[in-house]
Amino acid sequence: MLSINHLHAGINGEEILKGLNLEIGAGEVHAIMGPNGAGKSTLSKVLAGREEYVVTEGSVRFLGQDLLALEPEERAHLGIFMAFQYPVELPGVNNTYFLQTSLNAIRTARGEEPLNSLNFMKQVRSKLRELNMDESLLRRSVNTGFSGGEMKRNEILQMSLLEPKLAILDETDSGLDIDALRIVADGVNALRSPERSMLVITHYQRLLDYIQPDYVHVLSNGRIIRSGDKSLALELEEKGYGWIKAQEAAA
Amino acid sequence: MSAMVAGTARADLLLQHFRSLADTSKPHHALALKAQTALHALPLPKRKQESWRYTPLPVLFEQAWEPKPAATTAALSVQQVAALALGDTDGCRIVLHNGVWLPALSQVPSGVSVLPLAQALADDTVVGSVSGPGRHLFAALNAAMAHDGVVIRVAAGPDPEQKLEILHVNSGLASGWLVQPRVVLVLEDGAQLSLSEQYLGHDDASAGLYNGMTEILLGRGARLAHARLQNEADPHRHLNALYLRQQADSAYTGTTLAMGGLWSRSEFHVSFAAAGAHCELNGFYLSGGQQSHDLQLDIVHGVPGCSSTERFKGILSGRGRAAFDGIILVQPDAQKTDARLSNDNLLLSRQAEIDTRPQLEIYADDVQCSHGTTVGQIDAEMLFYLRSRGIPRDQAVNMVCKGFAGEILQTCRSEVLQQRAQALLEQRLAGVLAGMA
Repeated sequence: MLSINHLHAGINGEEILKGLNLEIGAGEVHAIMGPNGAGKSTLSKVLAGREEYVVTEGSVRFLGQDLLALEPEERAHLGIFMAFQYPVELPGVNNTYFLQTSLNAIRTARGEEPLNSLNFMKQVRSKLRELNMDESLLRRSVNTGFSGGEMKRNEILQMSLLEPKLAILDETDSGLDIDALRIVADGVNALRSPERSMLVITHYQRLLDYIQPDYVHVLSNGRIIRSGDKSLALELEEKGYGWIKAQEAAA
Repeated sequence: MSAMVAGTARADLLLQHFRSLADTSKPHHALALKAQTALHALPLPKRKQESWRYTPLPVLFEQAWEPKPAATTAALSVQQVAALALGDTDGCRIVLHNGVWLPALSQVPSGVSVLPLAQALADDTVVGSVSGPGRHLFAALNAAMAHDGVVIRVAAGPDPEQKLEILHVNSGLASGWLVQPRVVLVLEDGAQLSLSEQYLGHDDASAGLYNGMTEILLGRGARLAHARLQNEADPHRHLNALYLRQQADSAYTGTTLAMGGLWSRSEFHVSFAAAGAHCELNGFYLSGGQQSHDLQLDIVHGVPGCSSTERFKGILSGRGRAAFDGIILVQPDAQKTDARLSNDNLLLSRQAEIDTRPQLEIYADDVQCSHGTTVGQIDAEMLFYLRSRGIPRDQAVNMVCKGFAGEILQTCRSEVLQQRAQALLEQRLAGVLAGMA
């Protein structure tokens, strides 16, 4: 589904990803772990199409298409969704209006009829129930004045509505207490399906207790230096990132 | 040098022109006589004066504006009025066409009385009691020639939801016109009113200057919700000074939307007579093309225990300009004052210009005051967030702008007015985005 090949990318002239390779198949859940500054957030932003990040080498193919040639909205139309580490506040933009505009933009791109307000509200209400979220969230401005937990749940709500083929969770666990973490993880788990792949980016192993990955990769200094199954995450938690780095240096 | 001489000569001629207009208007009331004297001491506004520095004066001085006869069959029809009116006031409205009150097209609620200004001037000392004879040439000109307009009195009544709208339609006059109405609104002790005003040019094609004055007196405990939309026709210049005087425990909540005309200046002069009064001023301006909007705030806290909030936002595109000059003065006696002033601007083009100058002058020591200003382009993070959700770039820009303006628009008490402003904004943004593509 997603094929990243020898990816070099950076921002402001500084190279951050230095030859990253990654293959994600349909329905697979991959976790990327790594210390601060390894390039975790750069990877998610390059995949979502943030303009400030410049790709200097390598390729990314998604469902057979050259992902890097597409605008951010076109990537979303193809089925890429990134849950932001820091969701953006949009003062004065009503959350319901935002969600409906977003869903209908994606439906239209897929050749489906846009939903009218009535059908949209039905759909969003059922998603809210599934995610155990309060309806009052819909009446507020997007993310404006939301608590950290509310913001992340709003991200999961969007993901659930937009039904992406590849969901990228960019440090979704950051700033969440254990209860909020569990709610977010439950939401993510509810969305697991054989057609939906996920890329879970995290600094801590904790999130992976709740979202069990099929594969775990360690990102360090812009490259994946180790891949394994979920036991790798536990090993990392126990021994710290220094252990991997030391092994790298010795090799 | 010769150009400067020519400029000075032209300024002198204009000044003479405006003074002689006032002299020949033959006033017979105290306000006009005082204003006439003032007029002979006031200069033509010039860039050297702080409050006129950032507004394009050549646009204001393009012609020697003067009262003109109607060029076309100027009468407003019942149908036109019905189309322009908001229609959310149970038919209660006051229509001023080119400043002249049209009683046949007007109707007011039971607790409200209306008098033509000319009649009120003869025996009512309320006219001019808040504004005085005028602090600058155009304010004094309005007072010196005071004739058109109305005095509205609202009594405290059983119906707290009383609504009224005022339609100011300027159209059908020969080019170079000058229209100078004055609206005086008195809310007696305990009275309440929701008032909407529209200043409309109605597709008019002739250049002219609307030089209006609004005086509002709020009695003890009176409450006024006031929504105003300025959507003059493209060649119109619009100047309106609003003078507000509040008695104890009164509340004013106003929203002013400056969207139309080639040039506009909206002044707000607020003063408090006794403690417990609250004033909330919200404003939004939209300057595109060659437009300029000038916002002048002069808020005086002269007594203890009053609060005011002034929140203004603007979107500028093309070569659009705006000037925001707002001062809150807290005098030595005005302890326990709470005053907040903010001005935020969104610039959509490199040629757009905003000059903003929020000021606090505080002479009391036990007060809570703040002011803040922002000027910026559309936030890249916001755009990326929306686009990452499948929303195309143009639509994302549109949503961010509407959200930005929406925080002010939604303070309009009249939903119909709010929707009209929203539609107008949407139409203008679509034009801007089409131009950017």
